Amino acid sequence: MPGIPLVSRETSSCSRSTEQMCHEDSRLRISEEEEIAAEESLAAYCKPVELYNIIQRRAIRNPLFLQRCLHYKIEAKHKRRIQMTVFLSGAIDAGVQTQKLFPLYILLARLVSPKPVAEYSAVYRFSRACILTGGLGVDGVSQAQANFLLPDMNRLALEAKSGSLAILFISFAGAQNSQFGIDSGKIHSGNIGGHCLWSKIPLQSLYASWQKSPNMDLGQRVDTVSLVEMQPCFIKLKSMSEEKCVSIQVPSNPLTSSSPQQVQVTISAEEVGSTEKSPYSSFSYNDISSSSLLQIIRLRTGNVVFNYRYYNNKLQKTEVTEDFSCPFCLVKCASFKGLRYHLPSTHDLLNFEFWVTEEFQAVNVSLKTETMISKVNEDDVDPKQQTFFFSSKKFRRRRQKSQVRSSRQGPHLGLGCEVLDKTDDAHSVRSEKSRIPPGKHYERIGGAESGQRVPPGTSPADVQSCGDPDYVQSIAGSTMLQFAKTRKISIERSDLRNRSLLQKRQFFHSHRAQPMALEQVLSDRDSEDEVDDDVADFEDRRMLDDFVDVTKDEKQMMHMWNSFVRKQRVLADGHIPWACEAFSRLHGPIMVRTPHLIWCWRVFMVKLWNHGLLDARTMNNCNTFLEQLQI
Amino acid sequence: MSKITLGNESIVGSLTPSNKKSYKVTNRIQEGKKPLYAVVFNFLDARFFDVFVTAGGNRITLYNCLGDGAISALQSYADEDKEESFYTVSWACGVNGNPYVAAGGVKGIIRVIDVNSETIHKSLVGHGDSVNEIRTQPLKPQLVITASKDESVRLWNVETGICILIFAGAGGHRYEVLSVDFHPSDIYRFASCGMDTTIKIWSMKEFWTYVEKSFTWTDDPSKFPTKFVQFPVFTASIHTNYVDCNRWFGDFILSKSVDNEILLWEPQLKENSPGEGASDVLLRYPVPMCDIWFIKFSCDLHLSSVAIGNQEGKVYVWDLKSCPPVLITKLSHNQSKSVIRQTAMSVDGSTILACCEDGTIWRWDVITK
Repeated sequence: MPGIPLVSRETSSCSRSTEQMCHEDSRLRISEEEEIAAEESLAAYCKPVELYNIIQRRAIRNPLFLQRCLHYKIEAKHKRRIQMTVFLSGAIDAGVQTQKLFPLYILLARLVSPKPVAEYSAVYRFSRACILTGGLGVDGVSQAQANFLLPDMNRLALEAKSGSLAILFISFAGAQNSQFGIDSGKIHSGNIGGHCLWSKIPLQSLYASWQKSPNMDLGQRVDTVSLVEMQPCFIKLKSMSEEKCVSIQVPSNPLTSSSPQQVQVTISAEEVGSTEKSPYSSFSYNDISSSSLLQIIRLRTGNVVFNYRYYNNKLQKTEVTEDFSCPFCLVKCASFKGLRYHLPSTHDLLNFEFWVTEEFQAVNVSLKTETMISKVNEDDVDPKQQTFFFSSKKFRRRRQKSQVRSSRQGPHLGLGCEVLDKTDDAHSVRSEKSRIPPGKHYERIGGAESGQRVPPGTSPADVQSCGDPDYVQSIAGSTMLQFAKTRKISIERSDLRNRSLLQKRQFFHSHRAQPMALEQVLSDRDSEDEVDDDVADFEDRRMLDDFVDVTKDEKQMMHMWNSFVRKQRVLADGHIPWACEAFSRLHGPIMVRTPHLIWCWRVFMVKLWNHGLLDARTMNNCNTFLEQLQI
Repeated sequence: MSKITLGNESIVGSLTPSNKKSYKVTNRIQEGKKPLYAVVFNFLDARFFDVFVTAGGNRITLYNCLGDGAISALQSYADEDKEESFYTVSWACGVNGNPYVAAGGVKGIIRVIDVNSETIHKSLVGHGDSVNEIRTQPLKPQLVITASKDESVRLWNVETGICILIFAGAGGHRYEVLSVDFHPSDIYRFASCGMDTTIKIWSMKEFWTYVEKSFTWTDDPSKFPTKFVQFPVFTASIHTNYVDCNRWFGDFILSKSVDNEILLWEPQLKENSPGEGASDVLLRYPVPMCDIWFIKFSCDLHLSSVAIGNQEGKVYVWDLKSCPPVLITKLSHNQSKSVIRQTAMSVDGSTILACCEDGTIWRWDVITK
């Protein structure tokens, strides 16, 4: 089985919780014989597992739609990225001054042209601006932090090297910009401009600090506190379709600005989406002892313990899969809940018991005894050859039903015991024989009676009295259960009853339309479909007599062959070699006495050989046999 | 399939009565309201040459023909099945000489009545549809042959109730078989005709062992190895419409279709190739107003004359011993208007009975000069 095998447990070594998980004490002492029996019962898993392997292999090229969707979702969930949060940490201490800065715009922007163009020192492009409104926003909604998503560290390194990415802080509050009357709300739309305070933190520096922190790639949060100095400037905002550009012009004369304001900004970054946060994830399993491995693997969220029960649930084998994978088809199910849906729906030959505690998620697996044991152990058919083997169970059930139904409607008199006595083979064969094949005989008298079926467990007297089919059906239903106990008696009685039904009705031979004696009705022999060889021979001879240009011997040969072929039912080309040998043996003594006949036979064999119906070896065999007779 | 040979023109008889003999109505019996389909004299047993039997509805009645035109009813049997309608009846004999009467009709079941004990001796079941004619082998009167709507002809042993042979299949009739007749001297041979317009001659020679076996069979009749005979030895197409009656006349055959005439023709079989051969129509006996089917003719025991009724209730009596054919007489009576289904001639031809669709039996007796 796939997954990581664990020791086949005598569960004593496990912790209390494990023992709870596999509640029966498997410390039971088992003898060698029992061990063999246990092995055998474990082997019962082989066939369903093999079946699921076949199905899985077929699904590799063309996976199920649902599983494909699930796969994409899992991938998306596991994509590594950095969540960055920016907020003003010194806002409360700074008091009024900082308060003035609000609303503060924070942008993650990319420098478009590193060289200052004309009057503007820098042009940045951004897609989203976060507004920090401080303690009390205009509309009463307070927004204290700005969130950004950054790619994972490896990809961020490239961005950082280029140095074009930066976090911009823009505040209109502290600037003398009244003459433009900029409405702060308009910064999102339209081409506007105005005086403001601004500052930036290049991503490069952030990256450097993140890189230094050792726990960043283990998923720990890294906080960086930096002081930014807000400087006055003139900005112009341009919005072109999706892209928004902000152009910043730092005044050449710094004196125009009022005193610069300093703001303390905390930037915390956290890497998310990595599959494992546990420190054990980087360890390999090789150098850890199995007992501690059990502890480790329980710690990981995607690990699920599978307990395979066998030997009447007395023993179990355990294995663990990662990432909520199914142990049979290796499909990752994303969550324990997903596993819970996947297993019963896809692997319905097994029973699953789901078990969740704080420490672990476990699934107890056992074979569905009622479907499996009988079918799987019935015969040693390789499931590779019989792939659709398992579905037959359902068909069988349906067929049984329809048999019961048809026996209620049709004139299958022997069916009552046949359906119910599956185990009693000797009898079912007998009842099969005594049944009347409906095609072979037809009945002229008592057609109305054909709807009546004898329910098991009622006496012949009852049968005659109850003509109502509904009544018969209800009796049949109620006597089904007790029938098992009284089987033996009922067989004999139902046999008698079938007999009496057959006696009541007149049957006729199909060809001659002669009435059948009861003895014939009940006998095994039914020769109605057989060809009447006497008549057929007579007619064949008469047909051959019509030939004018054929000698007497040839006619006799033809007749012998025709009647042989008819009697032995030589129908296919493939029968010919056998037929030739058998014909030589059967008619050899006659043919040896008349050499003309033997020559006719040889010529005929040559003809057969000419047509590719007879091989040379068989022809040789026939001729050597005839030669031996001639001596 | 045989062909009519050219060059031998058949001779048509003249409808002018010669009045060699003349008959007069001596009796008329109204048996019932149901049509009578068959009337037959007993030719098998010299003790009972005067006895005849009629069949109609579900009733079979035996009469004795007395002198002076008197008729006395002897026995009457009514089938328990009211739906039964007998179409045909024939005399037969048990092995110990007991006279039997075998009758069949729409139900397809042949009732064999032992006349002496006045009981049903056997009921022969097997035909899948109505029985149109029953004939008895005069040389072995335990054998009867039946023609049926189920397109088969069956040979039975009435003594043991065994169905010996079935003549049907690949070479058999393709439509209802209406009439059968045993060859008078060749015990293996019989002729059958029917709605498929053909007349077939069959041989049982190869199967005679089964016929013999049927006499000694002591087991259940249904276990008898009934054989199918599929090919006749001769098939003639001399008629173009339903052939509803045929009788052997020596090695010749008298047959009638619905074309107002009876033909006398000779089947010319080739000795070694069955199925092939020719037929030669020799004489034609015109019967006016006789173009509906199921009108049967009859001959006296010596085959010297043939009598046939027609739709208008008239009877034509032809001399079979003369060539060209001579019409002996035409029997008509102003009260006889109904269709005459069958006639019966007494052994010497002195009495002619006619059974009609209105349920009457007419008796004509020859006027002795």
